[in-house]
Amino acid sequence: MTASFYEKGPARPITESTRVDKVSPRARWLGKVRALLVLVFAFIGLIPIFVMGITAFKTRAEVVSVPPKVIFSPTLEGFVFLLTERAVASPARIEQLRAEAQVGELNLFERLALASGQEITGPSDYVRRLINSLIIAGISTVFSVVLGLFAAYAFSRFEVKGKDDLLFFILSTRMLPAVVVTIPLFLMYRQLALHDTHLGMILLYTVFNLSLSVWLLKGFIDEIPREYEDAALVDGYTRMQAFFKVVLPQAMTGIAATTVFCLIFAWNEYAFALMLTSDKARTAPPSIATMLGRGGIEWSAIAAGSLGFLIPVVIVAFALRNYLLRGVTFGAIRQ
Amino acid sequence: MTTLPVRSPIAASSGAKPRRELSDRAIVNLFIWPTLILLIAWNVFPLFYSLYLAFTDYSAIANRPPTWVGFGNFVDILTDRQAWKYFATTGRYALVTVGMQLILGFGLALLVREKFRGSGVITTLILVPMMISPVVVGLFWKLMYNPTFGYFNYLLGFSDPRFGPDMLAGRFAGRPVPNLALWAVALVDIWMWSPFVMLLALSGLKAIPDYLYEAAAIDRASSWFQFWRITLPQVAPLLLIAVLFRTIEAFKAFDLVMGMTGGGPGDQTELIAVNLYRQAFQGQWRTGRASALAYIILVIIIAVSNLYIRYLNRMRGENA
Amino acid sequence: MATIELKQVAKRFGQNWAVKPMDLTVQDGEFLCLLGPSGCGKTTTLRMISGLEAVTEGSIWLNGRNVTWEHPSKRDIAFVFQFYALYPHLSVWENIAFPLQAEGEKKENIHKRVAEVVEILRIGHLLRQRPGRLSGGDQQRVALARALVRRPAAFLMDEPLGALDAELRESMRAEIKQLHIHQHATTVYVTHDQVEAMAMSDRIVVMSAAEVQQIGTPAQVYYDPTNLFVARFIGSPGMNLVDGRLEGDRIRLPGTENVIPIPPAYRPGLQALGSAEVIVGFRPEAAMLSSDGGLVQGEVYAVDMHGAYKLLHVSLGNGAGNTIVHIRADRLAPYAIGSPVRFHLNMDMVRLFDPKTEKAIPRLSEGATVMSVSDLAREVGR
Repeated sequence: MTASFYEKGPARPITESTRVDKVSPRARWLGKVRALLVLVFAFIGLIPIFVMGITAFKTRAEVVSVPPKVIFSPTLEGFVFLLTERAVASPARIEQLRAEAQVGELNLFERLALASGQEITGPSDYVRRLINSLIIAGISTVFSVVLGLFAAYAFSRFEVKGKDDLLFFILSTRMLPAVVVTIPLFLMYRQLALHDTHLGMILLYTVFNLSLSVWLLKGFIDEIPREYEDAALVDGYTRMQAFFKVVLPQAMTGIAATTVFCLIFAWNEYAFALMLTSDKARTAPPSIATMLGRGGIEWSAIAAGSLGFLIPVVIVAFALRNYLLRGVTFGAIRQ
Repeated sequence: MTTLPVRSPIAASSGAKPRRELSDRAIVNLFIWPTLILLIAWNVFPLFYSLYLAFTDYSAIANRPPTWVGFGNFVDILTDRQAWKYFATTGRYALVTVGMQLILGFGLALLVREKFRGSGVITTLILVPMMISPVVVGLFWKLMYNPTFGYFNYLLGFSDPRFGPDMLAGRFAGRPVPNLALWAVALVDIWMWSPFVMLLALSGLKAIPDYLYEAAAIDRASSWFQFWRITLPQVAPLLLIAVLFRTIEAFKAFDLVMGMTGGGPGDQTELIAVNLYRQAFQGQWRTGRASALAYIILVIIIAVSNLYIRYLNRMRGENA
Repeated sequence: MATIELKQVAKRFGQNWAVKPMDLTVQDGEFLCLLGPSGCGKTTTLRMISGLEAVTEGSIWLNGRNVTWEHPSKRDIAFVFQFYALYPHLSVWENIAFPLQAEGEKKENIHKRVAEVVEILRIGHLLRQRPGRLSGGDQQRVALARALVRRPAAFLMDEPLGALDAELRESMRAEIKQLHIHQHATTVYVTHDQVEAMAMSDRIVVMSAAEVQQIGTPAQVYYDPTNLFVARFIGSPGMNLVDGRLEGDRIRLPGTENVIPIPPAYRPGLQALGSAEVIVGFRPEAAMLSSDGGLVQGEVYAVDMHGAYKLLHVSLGNGAGNTIVHIRADRLAPYAIGSPVRFHLNMDMVRLFDPKTEKAIPRLSEGATVMSVSDLAREVGR
């Protein structure tokens, strides 16, 4: 096969730009092996995620079945357990509920609870914590991005005394282990009555994401040619007008990417939340671990909750794949 | 753009300012200070505060003001064999996880470097683990590792829990295996963060200009020779950055362990950051001692970073 | 040393031809230039010879061996890149030693051979530095050294001087020429600079729009372009091209009284043409201004001072159909814009083209002007 290649050349004419040896049968074969290896690695790597995905749709019994089941009829039981508070219903009450189900007065979750002899008494604490997570992550992200945008613009466009040191300082705050800062913050928050409050957490996450936001946005703004602003200034715009009307629209992609990264980091954050909240402002990550333990570990509920963390991440990974590198290296490395 | 105020540049610069304009200086201050103030209040102030606390005997839950003990806490920690053990555990954990992440991540990067059909999608999928919340990752790996119904044992072929490993309990077929739980956690760390090294290595590989390989092909260099003389020296700075990030993270490792073992069994997976949490927020709430420990960790992180950065700069200087 | 042979070699990117099927033989020891405007396929041709680009059709032979599908490393050729392609993380010495180390050459041999080329190129003082710190000319010397140290069968050079400034380019040009004279190695040299091609090559391949236009010595492509493209492309300014109309044994040019005789060598060729329309071509130096009435009359349109001479833009005829020709004039003589001028044409240097095919009309070869290569380079370079 190889010998005939050197005499006759490849089977199909080469109409792309490529080195001779890249079209030899050996190179093509190696390329296939490489692709196969990547597929195998990716497959092995994604098994845990796949397991989590299917566990979320298993019933309690199926989760603990030996050997683990891959084929099963999916159910939303895990989500019911995750999101609702339930009570065991008496036989009489079950009859009554069944009758209601017959005439279609029960919603999907209520029917699922009924199937295991339970009655929904209200939303679970986890729902509250999810809402906390949404509020805290959302508002703090807006703050970090807005503040970060201003600082990034100033660092990108003006002579600032000790610029490099300041930027390094900003970056270094993110390198501190959370626990190091948390001890004094805990005391500080207790003094200021910020402990376990939404405001406290919002401010904390704003600061937590600020370094990322400044660095990422500075990178994006650095890439916008100054000439546009110079032209606007010559045309009589003030600096502020130039910033809002010229720089901001061009930085939109960068702002969007930064926003999403801040959201993800705030949404995922665990250590601060564990140490600085107890109940009222507690977010989802620390509670998903602790609050589902009552009466044995509800694996399907945990998996269902995890799915809530996984799905946004997958979407983000694909939407921002060109910016992932910047996101995880604080914009220090660009492609 | 249509509402552009028409004014000649001469008029604009003639000093007769038609509207209130902020000077550049004012803009810089206005734009930068809010950020700096927040960072100072939430990072610098706490750092000084905990530096003070590190020299005191204090418990946040006791109704007693801090009492100055000088270097007492530091001496206490540095002479505590348990503390040394936790540092050693952390060091081992860092070495194994960062080493494996480097090998796997760089290997993967070399594999996906040249495009093939679907390589973009697969590369992105490989990157997903590093973006999930570590505590969630820890939790569902706990499920994976479950000795009776977890997939880990099942896929490795241990269907009977009596004869298979119980990773997080550190046992194999009922007998304890030293450090098994630590390696179980390390495996998850490797699973989660190898993609990170891959991402950085990949960007390093893509930045190597094609013509270097063309020149090498002309110069009759074998693939092996090209790898050692071109690829490796060219990506080395980025690999070093990846290793730096990951080493720092290993000293901060907390979420993953909390999700999986909480430090157990016994203190097998008690990494230094976990221990710090335990001292500061559990049991006796030894705030003073915990602050001292925090500072020791901080010094280690700074020392390690400096070492790396110095090496990185030397490498960059040579490449310039 | 080596001969290089291209048989119907072509390259297609998708549906677009980068190089249309071409034949070419490079003789042993020859210095051959591939010359053409950017995007004409000259670099692609060179890269196909090296193996850095796979051919779509045809075959490439080195010393009678078919190497079409051989790895670049198996072809025994050296390649000098336009932007040098030096290894940035290696020192100059390591860069030069790279090909020898890659072959697993013995250490003392490497030192000896590197020292030899370093001597030839006079870069001994740079050995410990990294390429990034060197000037363009020094980088190019290092790149040449890396190519030379191999003692390859043939050198391929892709616009090696393209990234240098004008002055440096000239001295490096001489250096490369000198190297070729000493090494006498087969060299294929790509350039878009016709001065460079004229000055250096034994033969030139003029390419345009993915096609070979002409293969010939510098004198041939300069004085006997095979088509209008070559006539325009070679020389600065290019050949004057003027619409002409056959009238008996004379050719009428634009302008009321401008008539020239048909050069005798063209008589048979014109009879075969079967049309009265021709294009008359002549180099600026083929026209001689004369005060006592030349054959052709025109009006000064613009004057460019070139230092050693003046270049007159002369407009023949008037109104919309006027034609501008370039004529060389004395640097001291005053020419007012708008003033009338007359000039003679050296009929041996007049070339006729068929406007329909754009090809040169065949000509009897006696009386063809032959100049030495160096004279010619001087002419073109002015």
